[in-house]
Amino acid sequence: MPTLTVNGNAVDTNADPQTPLLWVLREHLGLTGTKFGCGVGSCGACTIHLDGEATFACQVPLEAAVGHKITTIEGLSPNGDHPLQRAWIAEQTPQCGYCQSGQIMRAAALLAANPKPSREDIIDGMAPNLCRCGTYPRIARAIERAAQEG
Amino acid sequence: MTYHKPNLSRRAFLATSGALSVAVLGGGLVSVFRDAAEAQDLGRSEINAWVSIARNGRVAIRYTSGEMGQGVSTSLPLVLAEELDADWSMVDALQVDQGPPATFGNPLINNILYTAGSLSIAGYFDRMRRAGATARRVLVHSAAASWRVPVGEVTTEPGFVVHGRSRRRMSFGEVVALPQLVTDVPAITDADLKPREQWRLIGSDVGRLDVPEKARGAITYSIDVRLPGMVYAAQLLAPVEGETPTVTTDTDARAVPGVVDIIPLRNAVAVVAETWEAALAARELLKVEWSNTSPFRSTDSAAELKELAAAAADPAREAFPWETRGDARAALRSSARVISADYSTEYVYHAQMEPLAAVAAVDADGKGAEVWLGTQSQTVSIGIAAAVLQTTPDRIRFHAMQMGGGFGRRTFFARDLLRDALLISKQLKRPVKLMWTREDDVKNGWFRPATAHRLEAALDSNGDVTAWRHRVVSASILAFAMPDNWAKANNRDFLVMEGAESADYAIPNLIAEHVIADRRTRVAAWRGIGWGPNMFARECFIDELAAAANADPVAFRRRLLRNNERGLRVLDAVVAISKFGTAPQGRAHGLSFAGYKETRAAGVAEVSVDGEGRVRVHRFWAAVDPGVAVHPNNLLAQVEGGIIFGLSGLLQERITIAGGEVQQSNFYDYEPLRIGDIPQIEVQIVESGAAPTGAGEIGVPMTGAAVANAIFALTGRRQRQMPFGQVRS
Ligand code: FES
Ligand code: FES
Repeated sequence: MPTLTVNGNAVDTNADPQTPLLWVLREHLGLTGTKFGCGVGSCGACTIHLDGEATFACQVPLEAAVGHKITTIEGLSPNGDHPLQRAWIAEQTPQCGYCQSGQIMRAAALLAANPKPSREDIIDGMAPNLCRCGTYPRIARAIERAAQEG
Repeated sequence: MTYHKPNLSRRAFLATSGALSVAVLGGGLVSVFRDAAEAQDLGRSEINAWVSIARNGRVAIRYTSGEMGQGVSTSLPLVLAEELDADWSMVDALQVDQGPPATFGNPLINNILYTAGSLSIAGYFDRMRRAGATARRVLVHSAAASWRVPVGEVTTEPGFVVHGRSRRRMSFGEVVALPQLVTDVPAITDADLKPREQWRLIGSDVGRLDVPEKARGAITYSIDVRLPGMVYAAQLLAPVEGETPTVTTDTDARAVPGVVDIIPLRNAVAVVAETWEAALAARELLKVEWSNTSPFRSTDSAAELKELAAAAADPAREAFPWETRGDARAALRSSARVISADYSTEYVYHAQMEPLAAVAAVDADGKGAEVWLGTQSQTVSIGIAAAVLQTTPDRIRFHAMQMGGGFGRRTFFARDLLRDALLISKQLKRPVKLMWTREDDVKNGWFRPATAHRLEAALDSNGDVTAWRHRVVSASILAFAMPDNWAKANNRDFLVMEGAESADYAIPNLIAEHVIADRRTRVAAWRGIGWGPNMFARECFIDELAAAANADPVAFRRRLLRNNERGLRVLDAVVAISKFGTAPQGRAHGLSFAGYKETRAAGVAEVSVDGEGRVRVHRFWAAVDPGVAVHPNNLLAQVEGGIIFGLSGLLQERITIAGGEVQQSNFYDYEPLRIGDIPQIEVQIVESGAAPTGAGEIGVPMTGAAVANAIFALTGRRQRQMPFGQVRS
C-alpha cells in the first residue's frame, strides 16, 4: 500500500499506483481544494506542490508521487494566512473561486523561487493557469502585493 | 424551505468506502450545514422569510440566486442589511436551497428561483430592502413594547435598537431574547425606506463573504461532494445528439476491479464504479454501437454559416419582427442612400472551469431524493428531479451548491445530467456522483448559436440615420431551452434578439427581425446573451455609417444618443478616460456603445496587429452606468471579467461541428485567454441613480465592435466575422 506525504502527514492509500494524484487527493483523501478542470495539463486548476515545485496533479501518477513532499492548498499555511492568501482577500481576487486554489499554489511556488518578481515574471509564471471568470488583473495585483508585504 | 450556509467549516467525516486510512487530513465530506440545526443551538428567531437573528446577535440573511462568481451571496444580503440596520460584521449569508416561489422567486424571471441574465440585483433589490425594513420594524416594535415607550421614540444604530431619551439600548441579539416579539407590524411603504443619502452599506466596498473561503480552497462545489457509500459514474456519451446506444459490449469493462455496473441510458452508457478512476478505466474498454438515424448527423458548422448568411441576404425568407418603430421598409425603399453590411458569429462554448457534475441519493422507496447540484435554477432542477422520479417536488431535498462558473451553462443541464444521476442512484440504491470530464463537457456543450446579421441603414444629406433594419438569423435558443415558454412566445426569442431593438438610438424608422434558423446542435445563452452578437454587428455598422457620413465615430454616436442622457454620459466618460483617438504609434483605438438591458456602457479598445496578422489588445477602457452600484468593487470585477470573457470569444474561441460531432475536445483546442493575453483594463462607474441593474453580462457586448473598429482604424480592414484574432483581409 503506497504511503504518501501530504501536507506533512504520512498517509496510506490503496488506490492503483497508476491513478493520477489528482483523484487520490480529491476522491480518496477528501482534499477537494485541489480542483479538476481538464485532466490534461491545460488549465492548472489541479496545481499542487511536489517538493515545492508547482505541478499538475492530474499529470502525476500516484506511484511517481511516493517519496515526495506533496503540498495542497489545505496545507499551504496553518491558518489559511499565507501572504498570498491575505493578498487574495485584500485584492478581492476570486469570483467563482474554482481556479483559485491552483492559482494560489502556482503563485506560491513562483514567490518561493523569485520573491520579488516583475510583472513580466508574474505573467510568464502564471501562464499555465486558466481563469474563466477573468480574475487575471487581480491575480497579478495580489501577487505583487504579497511580494511587497511578505 | 431549506437553506444552507455555504461557507462554514467542514465536518470531518470518514468515508465508508475503506479507501481512507487516516482521518488526520480532515476535509472530505459534504460541508452542507443545516440552518435548522444551527437555529436551535443559537436560539435563533425567524424574523421573516429572509432574516433570522440569533441571541448572540448573528444575523442570518437569505439570498436565493445561485453564487457562480458574480457576488450575489454578498450583494443581495448587503441590500437587506442596509434597511435592517445590521452590523455587517455580524451578518451570515444563507443560500436558499428551495422554497415557495411566491416568496423567493425572481419577479423578473417568472417568479421562480432562477439565476440568469444579470437579473438578481434588478429582481430582488426592492424585495430585499422591504424585507430588511420589515425585520427592523419588528425589532423596533418589540423593544418599544418591552421598554414601554412609544414606537416613534425608538430607533436603530448598526446592530442595536436605541431609545434616545432614556439612553437605553439593546443589541439585536438581546431583542430576540425578549419573552415576546411583536411580529404584527405595519407594512412598509416607500416612505419608510432609507433615502439614498442615508445608505452606509449599499455602495460600500465590504469584502465579499465568499472570498476568504475561496482563498483557502474551502468552498464545496457539487463536483466536490462525497457521501458515505457513494459510487462514481462516468458516461460514454452519444457522439451525436439524438443517438442512443443499441449494442453495448461490456465484458472487458465489467472486469475492471471496482466496477459496479454498466447501465445504458437514453443518450449514454453509464459506467459505475467504487472509484472514479475505475469508472474512467472501464469506460475506455466499453464498446458501444450507436443508432445512426439522428437528423443532427448532418450538422456541419461551416455549411451552416453559409446558410445563415444566405438567409440574411434573402428578403424572401420569413422573418419575425422583434421591434418596429415607424416604417423602416418604406423609408429604406424611398431613401437615396442606403448602406448595408453583413456580420456573423460562430458557435462558442461556456468553458466554465468546473465541469458539470451531479450528486444524487435516491430514497429507498425510489420516490424521493437528496440532490447536490450547481445549478442556475433550483426550481427547474427540482422540477426535473420530481418528474424523473415521478414524485412531488417536496420529496426532493435540494442543495444549491456554489458553481465553478455558470455563464449560461448551468441553466437546463439538469435535464440530462441530473436525470441520469437519479436513474443510476435509483437502480443501484446507492448515492452516486456523476461527473463529466472536460471532453464530455465540450463535446456535449450547449453553445451560443452561430448567427448572421444583415444591417441596412438610410443616411440623409445631413448624415443622419433615418431608417434602420437589423435582420438576425439564428436558431432559437428559447425554443430549445424552454419549449413551454416558446409555445407562448409568438416567435419572440429574447435570448437571441434582445439588444437589436437599439432603444437608446434616436432612429425614427426601425425594424429588428429574427429569421429563425433550424437548430443544428444544442444551444444556450452565453454570457452577454443576444447582446454579444447583436452589439458586435450594430456597433461595427455604426462605425461604417459614420465613415460613410464623413463623421467621426464619437460625434456620430452622440447624434444618435441625443435623447439619451445616460447613454451620452457613458460615451463621453469612456472617450475622456481613454483619450480616444490618441493611440500611440502602431496602435489604434476603436469605440463601441453597447450596454446590456438597462445598464448603459461604452468601451474603447487599443489594439495592434503584428506582421502575421495577429491581433493584440493592449488596453481596454469601459464606462458603465448600472443605475446604482450596490457593491462597486465587485461591479468592477464583473465588468473586468466580462471584458476578458468577451475578448476571449472574439479573438480565439470557436466550436466547429462536422458530421454532427463537435470537433474540439479540451482547453488545448478550445483555449480561453490566458493571463499574458489580457489588456490593461480601466473601468469607470458612472452612476445615474436609476434603479440598480445587473453587472454579470455587461462587460461582454461592448468588446466585439471596440476591437473590430480599432483594427479597421489601424489596417483599413473591416472585421465582420467573429472570431477575428487573426485579421481577415
Ligand atoms: S486539471 Fe490538471 S491541468 Fe487542468
Ligand atoms: S475565479 Fe472562476 S475560474 Fe477563476
